[in-house]
Amino acid sequence: MASSGLRRPNDPPLLILVSLADGPKHGHALAKDIEDFAGVKLGPGALYGAITRLVERGLIEPLGSDDRRRPYRITPPGSAALAEALADMRRVTHAGLARLGLDPA
Amino acid sequence: MKPARLLRWYPRAWRDQYGEELLALIQDTLDEGRPTWRLRLGVAWGGLRERGHRTGQAGKAAVKRMADSWASPLIVVVGLAAVSITWNLKASLPPARAWQGTAALDTLAGIMAFTGVCVLADALVAAPAFVAFLREGGWPKIRRRVAWAAGATLAAGGGMAWLALGLRSMSFAQMNRSLAYVIGAFAAALALIVALGLWASAARATAKQLELTPRARAAQLLLAAVTGIAALTIVPASIVWTAAIQSSLAWLVVAVANLALAGVVAPRMIGRALRKGRRLRLRAAASGRR
Repeated sequence: MASSGLRRPNDPPLLILVSLADGPKHGHALAKDIEDFAGVKLGPGALYGAITRLVERGLIEPLGSDDRRRPYRITPPGSAALAEALADMRRVTHAGLARLGLDPA
Repeated sequence: MKPARLLRWYPRAWRDQYGEELLALIQDTLDEGRPTWRLRLGVAWGGLRERGHRTGQAGKAAVKRMADSWASPLIVVVGLAAVSITWNLKASLPPARAWQGTAALDTLAGIMAFTGVCVLADALVAAPAFVAFLREGGWPKIRRRVAWAAGATLAAGGGMAWLALGLRSMSFAQMNRSLAYVIGAFAAALALIVALGLWASAARATAKQLELTPRARAAQLLLAAVTGIAALTIVPASIVWTAAIQSSLAWLVVAVANLALAGVVAPRMIGRALRKGRRLRLRAAASGRR
């Protein structure tokens, strides 16, 4: 399994990494994007808790900004961790669907 | 409630780094409305979790510092010895074995005194640099740690004084039956361990601030190794004492095994300290510093 601590598909850190995978975003844009693609509404406390952990682990980094809304981008280790976590989830998903007889095409 | 007040749940360092962004996000989320209870609770919970996380990190760092320090074995063995002493004092010696117990106790006291002398020598080596540090206004940098250590020492001293009074007024049999005495003995031992740990932490924090000469640093390395070895032998000496009191062959075997372990570790510790010291002096000589 992923050694980056990204295990569940609704983990705020995982959702943030997925959101940042297509480009930098600030807090509000992140929250909206995550709600759009995952249907998960992250409150400000949960969002910034996850952002803090991801910055500490070097998986995302802040970009310079004069605005109060500082954007973040995914780092190369963040991309690698996300790819690893998604590959793990895909393996589990395929196994589950196959055992249910719902093997994806 | 103003959104800015929600930030008070977070640690100051976190607020300095992320506070403005979080406020901007809250304001974007509210869109000129008032914070809902759900949002307030979410932010408060996030702040408390952040405080918990930072406290946990600080605790881990402190444990790591202690584990890296030569002081940690000293703290552990002195603590064990203190616990062992309170335990052993409950047994009264039959006259036929009294000399064995006395000899073992004298040896233990001698090793403890030697350990104390090593710690004192270590402090004396650093004394000139410490005085210079204080003269340059360094006291505020270590004041808080020293105050905590002094407070813990006072608590430990109070506990020890209480135990000493108990020793005077109670017989061994009475101590053996007294739950308050046993609890007090453990509490005093624990306070002693905490006090030693805090002093070790204060000493390390102070040592980081000192500008020691290479010779003093080499001497400290050697003294630290000798202190560590002396502290390590407190455990087997304490066990020998127990073996003497109880005429226990099993305890004697454990003590010999511990002594053998200390015998294996000691030359390595000394060798490492000497090699490090030599490297320090060579490097200093190469750069023209004494």
